[in-house]
Amino acid sequence: MTAGIPLANPDAKARRSRPYRLAGPSWVIPVLLFLGFFFVIPLGANILRSLQAGQTATNGPLFYYIKLLTDAYYGGVILETLKVAAISTVLCLIVGYPVAYFMVRFAGRWNAIIVFLLIAPLLTSIIMRTFGWRVLLARRGLLTTLLADWGVIPRPINLADEPFAVYLGLVHVLAPFMILSITAVLQKVDVRLEESARVLGASALGTFFRITLPLSLDGIATGCILVFVVTCGSFLTMLLLGGGKVTTLSLLIYQQFNVTQDVGFAAAMGNMLLFIGLICLTLQARFLRRSGGKS
Amino acid sequence: MRAMRASPAPGFGGASIELPLAISEQRTMTRGVPLQLLGISKSFGSVQALRPMTQTIEGGEMLALLGPSGCGKTTTLRIIAGFETPDHGSVVIGTRDVTELPPNKRGLGMVFQSYSLFPHMTVGENVAFGLKMQGASATERTTRVREMLALVRLTEHEDRQIHQLSGGQQQRIALARALVTNPSTLLLDEPLGALDKNLRERMQFELREIQHRLGITSILVTHDQEEALTMSNRVAVMSDGQVIQVGRPTDIYERPRNRFVAEFLGTANIVAGTVTAQATEQCWHVAFAGEPGASALVQSDVPLAPGGAILLAVRPERIEIGPVVAGTMQALVQDVVFRGSYFAYELRVPGQDAPFFAYSQSRKEIPADGRVGLGWQPDNAIILEDAP
Amino acid sequence: MTALEPALPVRRRRRVRYGVIALALYVLLFLGFIAAPIVSVVAVSFSTASFIAFPIPGFTLRWYWRIVEYKPFVDALIVSGEVAVLSTMFGTLLGVPAALALARSRRTAAAIVSNFLLAPVTVPAIVLGLALLYFLSSLSLGISFTALLIAHTVAGIPYIVRTVLSVYRAIPPDLEEAAAILGASRWQTLIHTTLPLVRSGVFAGGLFAILTSLDNLPLSFFFGSANTNTLPVVMLSYMENQFDPSIAAISTVQMLIAIVVLLIADRVYGIEKLTS
Repeated sequence: MTAGIPLANPDAKARRSRPYRLAGPSWVIPVLLFLGFFFVIPLGANILRSLQAGQTATNGPLFYYIKLLTDAYYGGVILETLKVAAISTVLCLIVGYPVAYFMVRFAGRWNAIIVFLLIAPLLTSIIMRTFGWRVLLARRGLLTTLLADWGVIPRPINLADEPFAVYLGLVHVLAPFMILSITAVLQKVDVRLEESARVLGASALGTFFRITLPLSLDGIATGCILVFVVTCGSFLTMLLLGGGKVTTLSLLIYQQFNVTQDVGFAAAMGNMLLFIGLICLTLQARFLRRSGGKS
Repeated sequence: MRAMRASPAPGFGGASIELPLAISEQRTMTRGVPLQLLGISKSFGSVQALRPMTQTIEGGEMLALLGPSGCGKTTTLRIIAGFETPDHGSVVIGTRDVTELPPNKRGLGMVFQSYSLFPHMTVGENVAFGLKMQGASATERTTRVREMLALVRLTEHEDRQIHQLSGGQQQRIALARALVTNPSTLLLDEPLGALDKNLRERMQFELREIQHRLGITSILVTHDQEEALTMSNRVAVMSDGQVIQVGRPTDIYERPRNRFVAEFLGTANIVAGTVTAQATEQCWHVAFAGEPGASALVQSDVPLAPGGAILLAVRPERIEIGPVVAGTMQALVQDVVFRGSYFAYELRVPGQDAPFFAYSQSRKEIPADGRVGLGWQPDNAIILEDAP
Repeated sequence: MTALEPALPVRRRRRVRYGVIALALYVLLFLGFIAAPIVSVVAVSFSTASFIAFPIPGFTLRWYWRIVEYKPFVDALIVSGEVAVLSTMFGTLLGVPAALALARSRRTAAAIVSNFLLAPVTVPAIVLGLALLYFLSSLSLGISFTALLIAHTVAGIPYIVRTVLSVYRAIPPDLEEAAAILGASRWQTLIHTTLPLVRSGVFAGGLFAILTSLDNLPLSFFFGSANTNTLPVVMLSYMENQFDPSIAAISTVQMLIAIVVLLIADRVYGIEKLTS
């Protein structure tokens, strides 16, 4: 039977095990090189620059950072950034959660349409959407005119240069992201859990707070972090709708660059922003890992 | 001397069973190619998935690798296919050592568990894929595809999309696709798992028939013992990374080596006993625990040591139910189930923990709580290798 | 009311009905809230008044003519388009192979690299823009189309990687193994099996990258010059200097272009497949 068939390698020659895979690790190299060179290094250089620019004869390298944190004005800007981000996050959550709930529980076949309507605004420029709020809220804008006609406000005033307008603009842009983050997780919450709670005697509201809300916490967390980080980084809304009354870190960087050419300072502000974002992301990673969810 | 057909590419008519000798001879290139596994082993990290295994599969034979999940059968198949490299040992197809070759150079055909038909291609394109990779011309491809579709009786579906086919149809297309390149060996990875029972039984016969007709060496991986017994020439029962027993289906079923094999293939009543005395040249008396003491005759080719412990397996269909006889095994009927062609009895035997099962074709049903005597022919008691 | 019937057992419909109706009305209101600014802008673009005034005094197309007259608008539109398409193409060439390599790897290094590839999206664009401007200037690429392209590619890679990762993970590895057994070399498997199957991921990610690039002001802002201004940058400076409904007109045009591109994508490919 085995005549003529060579007994190849019956001995104990160990082989390196290589399962069959299509894409080898070397396929990752081009993009790593690209990002390493055009993402990591520039950001690193940015940090260096802020430290070097800060280091003069009299000041240490952390000069700009100390200035940012201790100076009344700049410290205030940082706080304002955090405050605006926090408020817009909470607003997005309050405004968005009912929509998410409706979409998952009641919308049925309308769900796809609502998703489309939430994503469609991405087809428009953010300038267009922000401009649209100016249109609605300006002195002779649509909304103000209507409100004056209905007697809600005594006479048409310019609502478009107020913090209120900024929050309106932010929620408008970011609520869809919050909603989609929540629906992704809410879809996995079994409706029968809510039903059993009702059967056991819980009220509708009680069921919501005791069952639904805790189970959708993952989605809420993802959405909140997303909105918070994006708000920290945005400045257009504050620029066009804030009328100078809302100054956040991003806006400051923009203005610094336009007005002064203090690169070191701008770089330091940018790094501060980056730092805030990193904290948020670590929080998110920690939270999701603890709750065993996937982002 | 032998009739040769005029057309170079004979079609396999669905109805014909007998092929002229000439046609099968034309395909001898890839028919009847033996496959050898020489000491292949594989570990994943600290887990040894496959202990050194040496098997030879004869040309044209279908060997089933049968075992529970984790027994190493799938690892073996993947090593043969080339998706895993064995830590030691080699795979030889015919006279070629293919161990170092990538999967696309081994000349194999494979039917996957979930068929793995390309969803973005039509049926025809799926079947033609192997030929396209080989660089066959369009006309060649069309002819061979039609042949293969005729073989699996799905000619009219050539332009359909995959998702339009039923599970059974997809399975046949997967088979056609695997065979179109005339592979030397056919690998089947639990091919019938996703089908419902009736379809599965039909496909078992069809697959076997096609494999037989084409004479292609095949390896079947399955956890379904019925499938293994129905379709294959030989069965290798595996557990924990090694082959426990290899043999023809009847041999394995009638003469399992140990408890694992006995219980994996069909039902077996396992009973421990003590050899008491020799009865005849080939039969011994074996005593069983329990009140009252029971004894039975067991046939053995090898002499048994009196006083030694022994583990036996008896198939339910080999147990004879009769009236209670002193000195033989007795039982209490726990439950009766009518299964159409026989009655299945669940019995409680004093001295034994696990219930006994017996099948009786007698038309008269014995009611529950009845007392019966159990017996068997001496050669129907299988002596197991396990330590009792 | 059939459209609003909740997907609950019949028994409970009566009790919950009013709550559901209220919720549905709220959602309608919310959707109106989402649409309102966009609709207003389109409306204003036809207004005869050269400042914002409601009710709209009259209808005219003169602001649309202004787009053509005001050269920076058209130039910027072209630049925006070029940057968006080219950066997405480069992002695809860089990102898709990496996503394919990372998607099925169980090593921790793979997870780290995947997260790294997704990182640019978490960096505020304004910080990235600033950093890149100075870095590229030191390479004497400063304010140029190339620099703009590099910046947008960096920003677009995460979108493509993300969608391709998720689509590829959902494809059973059996399919590529089947292709290999059938004789396909790695390259053939890639062309005939893998790429056709991840096409929807590439498309969706690419679309997202294009849309984000078109709208990316903070990044482009730093690289602005006469011939490297993108549309958002031009629009912003226009808004800060002259404030008339031209902005509304060009915004509407930009939106229409995006819609047309989406419709073409749907025609060619099918949107349902994108959302899978």
